[in-house]
Amino acid sequence: MLRIRDLAVTFRTDDGPVEAVRGIDLDVRRGEVLALVGESGSGKSVTAMAVLSLLPATATRTGSIELDGRELTTLTEAQLNGVRGKEISMVFQEPMTALNPSMRIGDQIAEALLNHGVGTKQEAARRAVELLARVGIPEPERRAAGYAHEMSGGQRQRVVIAIALACEPKLIIADEPTTALDVTVQAEILDLIRELAHSSGTSFLLVTHNMGVVADIADRVAVMYRGEMVEHGTALQVLREPTADYTKRLLDAVPRLPEGGETVPPAGEPDGTGPGGVALPVPVLSLRESSVTYRKAGKSFTALDGVSVEIAAGEILGLVGESGSGKSTLGKVALGLAPTSGGELRLFGEKLGRGGLRGRAERRLRGRVGAIFQDPGSSLDPRTTVGEAIAEPLVVHRAVRPMSGRDRAARVRELLEAVELPASYASRFPHELSGGQRQRIGLARAIALEPELIIADEPTSALDVSVQAAVLKVLRELQERMDFACLFISHDLAVVHEFSHRVAVMHEGRIVELGATDDVLLRPQHPYSQRLLASVPVPDPVAQRERRIARLAARSAA
Amino acid sequence: MVEAARTAVRTASGGAGILRFLGRRLVQGVIVILIVTLIVFALLHLAMPQGPAQGILGMQATQEQIDAFNRANGFDRPLWQQYFTFLSQIAVGDLGDSFKLNRPVADAIGQRLPKTLVLALISMAVALVVAIPMGIYQAVRRGKTGDYVFTTMNFIIYSTPSFFLGLVLVIVFAQWLGLVPALAPQGDTVAQVLAKPAGLVLPVATAALGIIATISRYMRSATIDNLSEDYVRTARAKGTPMPVVIRRHVVRNSLTPVIAMLGYYLPVMFGGMIVVESLFNYPGMGLLFWTSAQTGDYPVLLGCVLVIAVATVVGSILADLVQALLNPRTRGELA
Amino acid sequence: MTTATAAQPATQPAARSPFRRGLRRFLQNKLALFGVVTIVLFLLFCFLGPLLHPTDQVHTDLKSTMLPPGTPGHPLGTDDVGYDVLGRLMIGGQVSILIGLAAGILATVIGTLWGAIAGYVGGTVDAVMMRVVDAGIAIPATFLLLILSAIMRPSVPLMIVVIGLVSWLVPARLVRAESISLKSREYVLAIRAMGGTHGRAVVKHIVPNTVGTIVVNATFQVADAILLVAYVSFLGMGLQKPATDWGAMLTGGMTYTYAGAWWLIFPAGLCIVLTVCAFNSIGDGLRDFFDVKGRDR
Repeated sequence: MLRIRDLAVTFRTDDGPVEAVRGIDLDVRRGEVLALVGESGSGKSVTAMAVLSLLPATATRTGSIELDGRELTTLTEAQLNGVRGKEISMVFQEPMTALNPSMRIGDQIAEALLNHGVGTKQEAARRAVELLARVGIPEPERRAAGYAHEMSGGQRQRVVIAIALACEPKLIIADEPTTALDVTVQAEILDLIRELAHSSGTSFLLVTHNMGVVADIADRVAVMYRGEMVEHGTALQVLREPTADYTKRLLDAVPRLPEGGETVPPAGEPDGTGPGGVALPVPVLSLRESSVTYRKAGKSFTALDGVSVEIAAGEILGLVGESGSGKSTLGKVALGLAPTSGGELRLFGEKLGRGGLRGRAERRLRGRVGAIFQDPGSSLDPRTTVGEAIAEPLVVHRAVRPMSGRDRAARVRELLEAVELPASYASRFPHELSGGQRQRIGLARAIALEPELIIADEPTSALDVSVQAAVLKVLRELQERMDFACLFISHDLAVVHEFSHRVAVMHEGRIVELGATDDVLLRPQHPYSQRLLASVPVPDPVAQRERRIARLAARSAA
Repeated sequence: MVEAARTAVRTASGGAGILRFLGRRLVQGVIVILIVTLIVFALLHLAMPQGPAQGILGMQATQEQIDAFNRANGFDRPLWQQYFTFLSQIAVGDLGDSFKLNRPVADAIGQRLPKTLVLALISMAVALVVAIPMGIYQAVRRGKTGDYVFTTMNFIIYSTPSFFLGLVLVIVFAQWLGLVPALAPQGDTVAQVLAKPAGLVLPVATAALGIIATISRYMRSATIDNLSEDYVRTARAKGTPMPVVIRRHVVRNSLTPVIAMLGYYLPVMFGGMIVVESLFNYPGMGLLFWTSAQTGDYPVLLGCVLVIAVATVVGSILADLVQALLNPRTRGELA
Repeated sequence: MTTATAAQPATQPAARSPFRRGLRRFLQNKLALFGVVTIVLFLLFCFLGPLLHPTDQVHTDLKSTMLPPGTPGHPLGTDDVGYDVLGRLMIGGQVSILIGLAAGILATVIGTLWGAIAGYVGGTVDAVMMRVVDAGIAIPATFLLLILSAIMRPSVPLMIVVIGLVSWLVPARLVRAESISLKSREYVLAIRAMGGTHGRAVVKHIVPNTVGTIVVNATFQVADAILLVAYVSFLGMGLQKPATDWGAMLTGGMTYTYAGAWWLIFPAGLCIVLTVCAFNSIGDGLRDFFDVKGRDR
């Protein structure tokens, strides 16, 4: 139905032309879900945008794109507007910003209909309400009269899908439709897309980097790498028996949870813990009944609600949860970056804050804790070199550990080697590095003082899977060598499973389940943990199908 | 980061935020005006360490007469007491007496202020009518010839003193072409001024050009920001033609920051009025201020400053209110 | 891309420092180059010009008033009291540029300190400091300037101080906003998490990253200050003769508009416009220069 031949897209930039897509062929058949997979820079999103000519003005496109035999690349802007939304429509990645904030939801859906002369204003308004009901929005009449800010991310994505669906197009192109959503919401959106594909016969071209999503929903898969098509075939073929080297590497890099209760012991047992993960005395970090309340515009919001947790020396505690669960706040409390409104925080047995250590003594204690942050873009000062950034903790704590400038430079080289970067990188600036390299620098900075505890807040969630795998490998090796304890915060359950001795699940500011990794992640007890786990798609179509059926059965039973 | 942003969205979207917000803005406004009165009071004493006696009684007044005046009017009391007297006077609208005009300051300002407001409002209206479409046009044609022409024009106007700009207009349109008079209409009332609209053309044009240069720059960048928003892509993907996307989606969302900026632009505009009014001899508050500065009529000068400061504070609160009304997130809570 | 650079020998590592990158972008901005060249030319004209074209700018010469341009010895003619216009442009320019630069820098220094303290300390201190800024903004600068010039006899140092004192509000707001946003960057958080002091965070990371905003704004401040000097002169509260500035020259010439004495108006007017344009375009160029998170990310 959609037939792409020899599509190439080149962007004009200050540093010369950049070829984003280098001559690819792609077919989408009627009624199928085709997944276009790749990491960042693979050209998958550019391909999707090229179909409806929604590329920025700096892009040049060559090749042919046909819809049912009609060439789309030669159409005028007016003709294209007849195709957009009518025959092919799109769903985008970021539901929080995809809707006009100052226009009623119903009007935004009706606009799609009225653009293509479908019915009168009244009819379009009525149809908009029907569409909202169709995509599973409760109280559609009320919602149609409302605005985007009143809805959650998942609901907004449903509205965007309703807009795409309005004129019953032949094809819907969905560009990372679930990437910005939590896993439980992702599962619901994928259910909706699957149901729509089956009931309406609409084809989907689904752009994604998530192999689990592919396994869950795709009939066929096309894999892109650096602007080229490296492999395509059915989901079963590509995910189970990949032929291209790149696909194999990509699939290997995807962290996954073991199937059906099978257990793999995590790397080594922590020193400070006895059998069964019971913490021995003097934990490196201990929180007792800690709460954090934010005040904003006169309203208070409880981010952390009486949380108690301990981390033993050498232990890795994984902290999982969805957005707003309070997991990042907990990390900030441990780092002294968020003031608590109640409870007690101890580092290495010493009480901090009210009635405990403060000022210089507290700062000295903080030298024994390292921190790794999520955003590789803002974790390093753009104006200092890599060497300066890594040496900073050494300078801050020079009173405790005096060190000559030469020793410090040597230590920086040593640390760079520890994170597997050439020592020459010390003179570079952050903007010259890739995201993965920056996270390694962050890691080197965190271990500079040989800390006994590292707080890592989503250290790899902004990275591609292959880069993530490399960074995690470095982190794991360092942990084995230096034996620091770690609070590892992540929304990715499989990563946490690979990495942690114990796991805590957070939900609405509380820890709902805490225990040994396999117990929590393979045999969850709390209903929320169970729901969370069931929502994570695994990158194997057969296994994922079973999981989905089990999840849907559990949901209808509940 | 995403997490924090969502938390912020959640807390901001619920509750009686907007009324509380406006209440807080009102309290802030009162504080700002109090600080302005302090500055004004300090300036008064800098200007007249002896108090206003000399100014009111005239240069020939003897030291005894001045002392007697000060005793009778409380100008011999400690400064903080005088400040509170000053505060209680302005609270009831008493801005003191002019040295030169033989009338209360409030009267003089009351007669001139409406004419300045008329000139300011007409200029602002003309400027908005020109600047908003211009800014949108520039944003849409960004980097093309049309954008460059207007950007360069605005850049030059922005860098030109308004009296020089006005002078050029006078030379071209009054002196060479003889189309309009070079001086503003005279008169005590707004009606008298408005009776000769031809005389208003050049003052309005001079004031408006400066405002256009500022607002169109602002509108341009607000529109450029909005054009790169995701909702524009969504609208295009459903087949809405680009001109309609701009009209229906982008313009409204781009106007909001411009309105907020107008509130803060008021003092700049009043500051510009003094130049325009003295250039064209327009009988407004700016001219009153100018002549009072020449004659050292301090009560009038400081009365004007107070009036403008109050107008600015009220204006910025109004701008916030309009912005709240335009934003559906806050509108519901106001109703 | 990274692998390509990694393979190169480390012969020119500095070539990609933020400074060099910024410089490249600044030089690419033709308008900014025009600005720099214009300012240099004006500085030469105003400060070295009197050596090449010496004129008497103290004593009036009532025998040769209102001479048109082209008169021997007076390339740009003379004014109503016989001053040579070209020579007067030079000394007027000295005053305009000097006051503009000094007042712009003064305003930037005051505004930066005020804004940085308010932004980093936050809370009640911030609220009080910003209300003072609001109050200052509520009084139009020209009004305040007129009052102060009415109270005190205008002189160059006084005008620098007065213009500086009415212009620091905008930089104060900008720097405050900037330091609030920097305060929550992860690299600043990292300092505090590793036990660094607030002082270190401010000195090592917040100030260096605010420099761009400050310098760019300072350039615009200079442009605005030059305009303000002209306004004050136009409103009759400028320097006393025989001292002058471009604004005063322009204002003096306006009396003779109908007499056709264009040389008393346009040279001075164009000098103001060109200088202000030049400073504004340097500001635009510097904005590119300091923007580290550039287009190649």
